[in-house]
Amino acid sequence: MSEEKRGFATKEVTRRQFLKISGVSLTGLVLSTPLLTLMGCTQKQVDDGSVTTWAFPQGLLVVNKDKCTGCQRCEINCTLVNDGCVSSYISRVKVTRNLFSGRNDTGLYSDNHFVYFPDTCRQCAEPACGSACPQGAIYADDSGVKKVDPEKCIGCGACVSACPWHMPTVNPVTNKSSKCVQCGACVAGCPSGALSIISWEEVAAASQAV
Amino acid sequence: MSVQNGINGWAGTVLRVNLTTGSVTREDTLPKYKPYIGGMGIGYKVIWDEVPLDTEPFSEEAKVVFSVGPLTGSGVPCSGRTTITLLSNWSRGKSIVDAHMGGHIAHSIKYAGYDAIIIEGKASKPVYLKIEDDKVSLEDASHVWGTGTFNTNKVLSAECGAEFDVASIGPAGENLVSMSCMITSFGNSGGAGVGGALGAKNLKAIAIRGTGAVKIADPVEHKNLCDYMIRDLVGGNNNHNVPSRPQSWAEYTSTVKNRWQGGPGVMWGAAPDGAIDTGEQPSGQIAVAAYRATKGVFDYGDVVQQYIVKSGGCASCPVRCYSEYNVDILAEYDLPTLVSNTCVPAGSGPTSFYLKDAMHDFKDEGDSKIVLGLHGAYVMDDLGLWENYNNLGREFAWCLKNGVFEKMLPKEEFDSIPWHLMEEGDPRWLDDIMGRIARKEGEISRIGEGSYFFYKAWGLDDASKNEWGVNMYDMIGGNNNVTYNGYPKHHSSEDGWQSGLLYNVMYNRDCMVHVLTNFVRSGSPFNEVIKPVLESYFGEGCVDAPKAYTPINENKVKLAKWCFLQKQWQDSATLCDWMYPMTLSSSPARKYVGDIDLDAKYMTAVTGEEWTMDDILFSAERISNMLRGITAISFKIHENMDNLRKTHDAVPAWVFDKDPDVPAFSEGTDKMDREDWEKSLTMFYEAMGWNVDTGIPTRETLEKFDLGDMADKLEELGLI
Repeated sequence: MSEEKRGFATKEVTRRQFLKISGVSLTGLVLSTPLLTLMGCTQKQVDDGSVTTWAFPQGLLVVNKDKCTGCQRCEINCTLVNDGCVSSYISRVKVTRNLFSGRNDTGLYSDNHFVYFPDTCRQCAEPACGSACPQGAIYADDSGVKKVDPEKCIGCGACVSACPWHMPTVNPVTNKSSKCVQCGACVAGCPSGALSIISWEEVAAASQAV
Repeated sequence: MSVQNGINGWAGTVLRVNLTTGSVTREDTLPKYKPYIGGMGIGYKVIWDEVPLDTEPFSEEAKVVFSVGPLTGSGVPCSGRTTITLLSNWSRGKSIVDAHMGGHIAHSIKYAGYDAIIIEGKASKPVYLKIEDDKVSLEDASHVWGTGTFNTNKVLSAECGAEFDVASIGPAGENLVSMSCMITSFGNSGGAGVGGALGAKNLKAIAIRGTGAVKIADPVEHKNLCDYMIRDLVGGNNNHNVPSRPQSWAEYTSTVKNRWQGGPGVMWGAAPDGAIDTGEQPSGQIAVAAYRATKGVFDYGDVVQQYIVKSGGCASCPVRCYSEYNVDILAEYDLPTLVSNTCVPAGSGPTSFYLKDAMHDFKDEGDSKIVLGLHGAYVMDDLGLWENYNNLGREFAWCLKNGVFEKMLPKEEFDSIPWHLMEEGDPRWLDDIMGRIARKEGEISRIGEGSYFFYKAWGLDDASKNEWGVNMYDMIGGNNNVTYNGYPKHHSSEDGWQSGLLYNVMYNRDCMVHVLTNFVRSGSPFNEVIKPVLESYFGEGCVDAPKAYTPINENKVKLAKWCFLQKQWQDSATLCDWMYPMTLSSSPARKYVGDIDLDAKYMTAVTGEEWTMDDILFSAERISNMLRGITAISFKIHENMDNLRKTHDAVPAWVFDKDPDVPAFSEGTDKMDREDWEKSLTMFYEAMGWNVDTGIPTRETLEKFDLGDMADKLEELGLI
């Protein structure tokens, strides 16, 4: 482990620093006890990949596989808030595709019956969805959140193909890309805390507390 | 792309699949079915209109209706239920019954664009029904025919695609066993003989995926309502509203063993990367709701925590009433270790197949119930056997204990059974014995015909016809029969005085009504919460203290009718009866008062039409009268009985004769009094608008609900 990585948890942390230090995940980092407490998990869960984190503009998104109980309320709340309807297919957070017979042998009908979890948009610093969009419809707003401009989007699906995790979906009714806008509805409505967001101020404070 | 008719709440389309011809047709939902809400209401309308009540239930001519309702998949918490309506092959009168299936498939049906799927005819060879939005096809199922539900669901989900959900029947259904079910998700079942009904049609499974949406008229208000329910009303399973162990924020700790077992120090001990403490779970916080039930601890006690991986349950539900386990001990027997189920199917059901003395600890004191119960649940689910709320287990246990099998089975068959596995408390005993029932092997499998026909076959319904001198309906102890029709009580007078017994005798299977057990076993203190809250809804005297009962009164009847109607509403909406109606709240600030008008608020926000609880309960009363009318006609056709009061609704002797040294209405007993019960029935029939002598709806009542054609049929048969 590099010195820089080892020292991560004791520094004042900003999102930029976080991204620079951790790359795409926290695996391999030794996290401070206060940060683990904030994240509601153990170092082992981080090391084994049960807990993954994504550096969002407004905070650190924590996804805890072990806590996901498969209720699909993340998809329900995503679409209720953003689409005014309830749907799995156009949800920006996706748990159903891992719930039945998912990729990598996850899901109730797999051999690893009880391994299922929500996939989320990573809010990539260099988003493949945005790069692939022929209309330049995916832009970063003032806070850095990548959003879809519905005026420009033509529903071609280039973002769906380009995203390594296929997180966007073209809504068949509106013919617009439904890409995560980081509204936080999935997190706020998760009844098991499998999804949580920790603000950068909290991450920084927890890191300094060591 | 999905078929969507642009209706708020309802998907707008009823799908009809004829397995004989392979035809697939569609009709608009609302013009015909809106007066029946959805779900159960659609099922009842289809059976009434299309299936003559002398139809053999397991036949090409019979129909099976899968249905969801306007609230299913709308985001309403606990709306992940599918109702399956069919004719019973196993209860007296062979009348109409429903199976109630959880899991996630209800959402998939709705997202695919359907309010109901009507299955009719019979395929010439085993098939499964594949639905992807408007693409509907019958696919060859020969590669999964003969295999268990776990394999079937795995294979079909994999071959259809990752986002397909599946529900399938097992060998029990294929072999036309009456005590059969179908299974979806992991251990979520729809029982009541639906396995055999589909097996008779060569339909192995339904695999379904939907890319559509449920349209919501007022999504902002609707989300506020959903969040409010989870934040301020929801407690544990059965909405038990105070925690079973002290929590720092909680005013009360449960006075009884209830279904809110999570709390500080209660662990999901087998979580893959280290135990998860279910922690403090204050009312008012959404993010802790899923930890409250931690149902395995209710089912098995604290020793089970080491096996709990996480909680599971149905789509949309924050309560999670299933525990998901890794029982590593089972690996020593080359049996699957990952298992999941809840309640009776995971506990007293499977362990009833052992003599009590034969059960032994495996690793910790009292863990035999865990190992045998959970493996038994897995085996039953894989075979697609249905336990009839454990009448199956109770009957097996009684026969085992009393040497009945030795007398009743041919010697060759008796000797072929590996009794030593049972005597050693070996979990593999369950594979053998349940397999015989599911494959209809030998005389012992007659227990799979269901109580009514099994008792008849072995003379157990008449003390003069068997050497044990027993009437299985009337005997005191080890018997839960609540009628003479072949099904047990499901939280009856022991939890709900006369009111509970009244709704228990209304159906053609165990009633599945939990309204009063949710109240009485909530864990709240009786004098401070239970009595004042319930009386605020239904008036003074509607509630009795546990085992301190009082004679029937008008408010108890009012309560019974409300509970009865709620069930028809829930199965039509569809909402989970284990949680609804929201009679209680987990919130100290609300003084634990629930919100029994919440359902109407949901209907208004979802559909954009003004709905009141009166509107809802009026529709539910229509369906209730259909249940009753259909039951009366079935009893006439199959049993030549003209009077439901004296036949269908007759209550076995043990309910009145238990606790022989104590009179009814004295401290310490929940026994009923015969004279008081007759008065209760009369008052209930009057409240329902039914003939008090026969318990059959009057023409005036039926016409009030636009059921004049049902009145005509009843009149034609001389029943009114």
